[in-house]
Amino acid sequence: MAAFDREIVELLPRLRRLARVLTRSPADADDLVQLSVERALGRRDQWRPGTRLDSWMFRIMKNAWIDETRARSRRSAVLAPEEAGDRVGEDGAAAMQARLEARAVEAAMARLPEDQRLAVALVLVEGLSYAEAAEVLEIPPGTLTSRLVRGRMALAAQLRQDEPEAAP
Amino acid sequence: MNDPNTTHGMTPEERLIAYLDGELDAEARARFEAEAAADPRLAAELAGHRRVGRRVTGTYAPVLDEPVPPHLVALVTAANDRAPARFGPPRWAALAACLVAGVLVGRLAWPQPGPLADRDGALVARGSLDRALTAQLASDEGPIRIGLTFQAADGRYCRTFADPAEALAGLACRQSGRWLAVTTATLAPAAGAAPAYRTAASETPAAVLAAVDALKAGDALDAKAERAARDRAWVK
Repeated sequence: MAAFDREIVELLPRLRRLARVLTRSPADADDLVQLSVERALGRRDQWRPGTRLDSWMFRIMKNAWIDETRARSRRSAVLAPEEAGDRVGEDGAAAMQARLEARAVEAAMARLPEDQRLAVALVLVEGLSYAEAAEVLEIPPGTLTSRLVRGRMALAAQLRQDEPEAAP
Repeated sequence: MNDPNTTHGMTPEERLIAYLDGELDAEARARFEAEAAADPRLAAELAGHRRVGRRVTGTYAPVLDEPVPPHLVALVTAANDRAPARFGPPRWAALAACLVAGVLVGRLAWPQPGPLADRDGALVARGSLDRALTAQLASDEGPIRIGLTFQAADGRYCRTFADPAEALAGLACRQSGRWLAVTTATLAPAAGAAPAYRTAASETPAAVLAAVDALKAGDALDAKAERAARDRAWVK
């Protein structure tokens, strides 16, 4: 298998994670991964060896997602996060607590405007530098910073409300 | 040229977030830390954002360890390979089976709530061990400690770990989004005596060190390279 293909396979866990941040359900996330991988394979000639494949793939996923959300917003209003409670019950109370915790985060992320969610996903979840994230999103660094900061502030405001021993 | 490191023109919020994201230069960073040390409100705000950041990363981190659906892997292999390469454990399972020390044989029969699980014949880190291997740095404190991080000859990242609660030490390598145990050994309980003097390296059993020597290609990663590899989610 070519190095390009092997690296894409190795990126699949990260692509699935990014897609999980962007979409509302695991099934939608894997559909987005599939669409992105198909596009990447179709454009493999456009990738320049020596540049970061992860950034290149993230950009493809970002564009695929924007295309998808535009198509979708014409069809329906914002969907509520799916599968409430579906995935609990495997390991008892601790897992249930973790799942509830995750749902609070997912709900807060879902409430962010799309552009802020993308910035937060790339920097906070994927660990890209500001410069890399700006390049993936094809926006100026200053725009990235302001979207990121607004997103992080909104997340903090929402998530701190449900911290049990909310130390101000 | 953009100049992200200047504090001129940055709002206080931008500066705080840039600090958390490691985007301030050394001088701006030191200045911010001095201010936070002198300003309890700023320190509390910083701590609050740190907690929120950890909750967000913690929510999505487990996705990395889910098995990738075969149809996604097949997209790549089917498109490019007449005889698709084999992914996952087969070769590794054999290797792990050869190397895994005797202590583990009895543990294979464990029900799932242990630090290692038997998946398709390979021993895979799970739960807190999996999270520590994925997220923790050697400099981090926690119930599980990480020792050396290095790359094997084929580029896979491998890390030694010590889990005193399970009396378990070992070496695990990143493969297909999971940590596969290459070798494990019993951790001497004496390590519990003086936490301040313990280092993961000094408590690493000889069997684990031997496995490290057998696999290691080049030097172990330094703290910076270790962090960078973690931040890239251990992708080669």
